[in-house]
Amino acid sequence: MAGKKVLVVDDEIHIVHVVAIKLRNNGYDVTTACNGAEALELALQNKPDMVVTDFQMPVMTGLELIKQLRGNELTKDVPVVMLTARGFAIEDEQKEDLKISEFISKPFSPKELLRNIEDILYNNAVKNEDAEINVG
Amino acid sequence: MRTEGKLNLFVLIVVMCSLSVCGLAVWQDSGVGVGVRLLLAALMTAGVIWLSLNWLKLVGEITSIVSCFGQKQSARKNPKSLSDWLGLTGVDGISQVVNEQLNNNDGLTGKLKEQIRDLQIQIQLSQRQKNNTEAIIYSINDAVLVIDELDRVLMANGEAGKIFGFDFRNSRYKSIDDLISDNNSEHKEFVNFLRQSRQNKASHTRREIEFLIEDRMRSFDCIISCVYDSKEQISAVAAVLHDVTREKEISQMKNDFVSHVSHELKTPLASITAYSEMLVDGEADNEQTKKEFYGVIQSQAKRLNALIEDILNVSRIESGLIKVKKEPVSLTILIEEQLQMIKGFAEEKDIEVVGQNPIVFDQVYADKDMLQQVIVNLLSNAVKYTPAGGKVNIETEVDAIENLVRVSVIDTGVGIAEDEVEHVFDKFYRVEANKAQAKGTGLGLNLVKQIVEKVHSGKVFVKSQRGVGSTFGFELPLAGTNSEKVKSEMVRR
Repeated sequence: MAGKKVLVVDDEIHIVHVVAIKLRNNGYDVTTACNGAEALELALQNKPDMVVTDFQMPVMTGLELIKQLRGNELTKDVPVVMLTARGFAIEDEQKEDLKISEFISKPFSPKELLRNIEDILYNNAVKNEDAEINVG
Repeated sequence: MRTEGKLNLFVLIVVMCSLSVCGLAVWQDSGVGVGVRLLLAALMTAGVIWLSLNWLKLVGEITSIVSCFGQKQSARKNPKSLSDWLGLTGVDGISQVVNEQLNNNDGLTGKLKEQIRDLQIQIQLSQRQKNNTEAIIYSINDAVLVIDELDRVLMANGEAGKIFGFDFRNSRYKSIDDLISDNNSEHKEFVNFLRQSRQNKASHTRREIEFLIEDRMRSFDCIISCVYDSKEQISAVAAVLHDVTREKEISQMKNDFVSHVSHELKTPLASITAYSEMLVDGEADNEQTKKEFYGVIQSQAKRLNALIEDILNVSRIESGLIKVKKEPVSLTILIEEQLQMIKGFAEEKDIEVVGQNPIVFDQVYADKDMLQQVIVNLLSNAVKYTPAGGKVNIETEVDAIENLVRVSVIDTGVGIAEDEVEHVFDKFYRVEANKAQAKGTGLGLNLVKQIVEKVHSGKVFVKSQRGVGSTFGFELPLAGTNSEKVKSEMVRR
């Protein structure tokens, strides 16, 4: 999955930093933002392959960011992993509606986060290949 | 016996007189035949005896009636024989019987008076009890409303009047339907609930009901009880409405607090966990990165500790268990120190922070660390909730008349809505519209209030206008004033 573009969003600079280092050390192209509004702007400028976002952020929350991403043709299918320190972030139904690939609770393990990102990207790649074969 | 003798003697004299008259009639020669005179004498004697006996009978009957007066019916009977009459007849006998009856009547009147007095005492006690009960009902904060079986209002205290919008003094015995508004669905629902409870003969029915009072929706825990008369029929229905709005708000605030605290605690913990894992896994490939990671772990551990301290401090101050170390402190110097600390954070956000603190005698008798925390909390809040390009100004003024010093932190920030201003110092309270602006636990301003008011006998204040800015501040008594010394001694250590 090396070279894939991941957008990391969190208002906690240390979290953004550690996730970015972990992903960069494993070959990912990482962009960072400190709130939803900034992340949306970056995502629309340069479509990421994956978004890792915090839930509670000033200016624009993670949930609002995902809604905005899903509402845009360019980013509507981008897989999203949500990092949250809240035990009861959103309902399962909403999670499905917004196509949130994974919820990871804080405190989290960077290793596990990486593993999740790799799995999701791999499954997406397989799905896309199948779709291409079927079309072909 | 003496009375009987007198009566008998009286009868004997009457009979003797009669016989004498008869004798005279017999022995006087008036030319009438002896047989005729004897007959006349006998007739006269018989007439006198008959008159005497009738007189005696009459007296006996009077005596009997008088003696029966006030006695049991069974005792009211006629004398059976002449001897009975003779035994009871005469003026003395009547007098005696009348006196006896009067004595009896006196006793009866006394008993009646006693009973009346008892009844009056009971009425007074009942009245007093009624007044006490009414005073309790009228003074409690719960609303009480009682209606009878025909839906007429029997009682409504002031709180009930506030909810339903009527004055009980003008509404007694009026139908509840006439008193509530036809357009108010909550009031109608409540009256239906009263009727249902009566229909179901429920002894205690409970339900939560909401009413719109002064443009604010309030929740009430409503308990309805049926009142039964001596024939076991429902004579009234009583409703007690306890306002639980504040309790619900507190419960909500507690839930929000747990959620916020959990979030705030987990955030530095997340950094500590992640960075330490990176170090263990060898992701920090050079000394510089390792040093950076250790630094993050250290700073986040401090942050975690500070947060826990904040929570504990609020709790300690509230319970009066905090250690207070008071000394003369110059507010101007203290503010200057804190201004230097906050300026870096303010510059990052492009906010200008200005202090206008004249050098005057502004010493207060205070715990320096605590006061530092107050100033830092007010300044950092002002910076947090002021958009880039804004300004924060901190002013100190000494009120020589009131013997106090006033510190105001004025910002050009987002401001607070009018209805939320009064709650900003409440524990765990966060202004809803400003939540996205900055993170917080809702403890900072509460801590300011606790330190200023509870520990230092001062006063906090706030003025704010949405979209214009806010002024947060506090007043403290100047050092040396008696009131401050006295009050400071009262703070539990």
